[in-house]
Amino acid sequence: MIRHYIEKDRPLRDVPIAVIVMLVVALAIQLFWHSQQEPIVAKAEDLPRPMSPRAYVMSSFGEPVAAAKILNLWLQAFDNQPGISIPLHSLDYDVVTDWLDTILELDPRGHYPMLVAARVYGSVSVDEKQREMMDYIFYKFNEDPNKHWRWLAHAVITAKHELKDMQLALKYAHALAEKATGENVPYWARDMKIIVLEDMGEVAAAKILVGGLIASGEITDPYELNFLENKIHTLEEKMTKIRQDVDK
Amino acid sequence: MRNRLLWLSLLVVVISFGLVEFIGDLAITEHRVTQVAVLGAFLRLSAVVIVTMFVVSSTVRELQDKTLEMILAMPIHRSSYYLGKLTGFIQVSAIIATIFSAMLLLYASADQVMLWGISLFFELILVVALGLVMLFTFNQIPAALTGVFVIYAASRSATSIYLMAKYPIISHTTISQKFMDGFVELLTWLLPDLHRFTQTEWLAHGTGSFSLLMPVIGQALIYLTLLSAVALFDFYRKNF
Repeated sequence: MIRHYIEKDRPLRDVPIAVIVMLVVALAIQLFWHSQQEPIVAKAEDLPRPMSPRAYVMSSFGEPVAAAKILNLWLQAFDNQPGISIPLHSLDYDVVTDWLDTILELDPRGHYPMLVAARVYGSVSVDEKQREMMDYIFYKFNEDPNKHWRWLAHAVITAKHELKDMQLALKYAHALAEKATGENVPYWARDMKIIVLEDMGEVAAAKILVGGLIASGEITDPYELNFLENKIHTLEEKMTKIRQDVDK
Repeated sequence: MRNRLLWLSLLVVVISFGLVEFIGDLAITEHRVTQVAVLGAFLRLSAVVIVTMFVVSSTVRELQDKTLEMILAMPIHRSSYYLGKLTGFIQVSAIIATIFSAMLLLYASADQVMLWGISLFFELILVVALGLVMLFTFNQIPAALTGVFVIYAASRSATSIYLMAKYPIISHTTISQKFMDGFVELLTWLLPDLHRFTQTEWLAHGTGSFSLLMPVIGQALIYLTLLSAVALFDFYRKNF
């Protein structure tokens, strides 16, 4: 078998010397040519603006969901360009949110763009960029509170612990309590306002809110009622402690 | 004409015209730039595919209907046969590059289209030579086409692959990774710098110049010589 492959061609001596010389010289010139070229250097590219969602639907042959998933991956990997890694915060967030909007329009049921908004682009170390992404999440939450509540809950945590902006956290937590009223929204998300108020030292306001929630009769879940009653108890203890400190 | 190559080229021109006008309707801004970018990329790829198919299919027919054996039985050098084929296919490349460039004149400035067309011509010459090498090596259409397209794609993307290997996001020191890095670097030395050829950017942003064309022509001529030497080496050793 091997012998067949070795012997099926004519011997090397049948190749004219000129052809062998040409082969060696051409290979040497190619290597010399390559060595004389400018060294290949990695260059960062700016994130371009997206096209219209319709254009992506057309170019994916009518597969908007597939197009959305591919664009998700492309956008997510944009900071890793060949040979270079761009810090996320150096991306133009205005353009990033345009991309996220486009992807959400292609696949409205997908959560991927909101997840990267909250946990990737919203987790950078630059306050301004983080705020920009939290604003975007808040904007999307207002479009469909019962769908995007979890990302706004994440924004509450980010505002409170990373941005250290309690007013912003309260604003988001208030929106959660007011607008995310669907059955799928767990009570811990709706009750985040109480925790933020408590952390702000607004113990009395938090207690009034908890009491109001219980009295309204809207809460029927026994676990949530139990949580709120425990919270009232904790808040009363705190208020008593504060009064004692003031009296001293 | 017997292969309907001209008709196929004109069909591609008509399809690309429809496609580009449609894309022009979609673009909200940079209307003309979007059109010319899509058209340039589409025509470049179409030209490569058409020329490859033409070179491989027409030469394989000569192998299969024994025309080649008849020619080689005559008192002519194998190199004469090869150079004859190469010259003929280079003329075909010139015709296709001219037709496709003429189409681009509708959307881009004449000087940039001329640079693009010349570069496309030299790119097609390399594709022709590569097609002949692959065909003499494999003697079969599927294997030859696969060989051409794999090497063409590798030549177009070798720079990106090299950069990714040279500047990894997560550094690595394993022997296998070092071997792969070395292999990728070797590829960049052995493959032509096709990323410098026929750039859509020239058409879209008018950045082309004759100084950019010189390295393209230089690389094309050097690589054409190398591929011809490989093809002749293989051809002289073939038993028919």
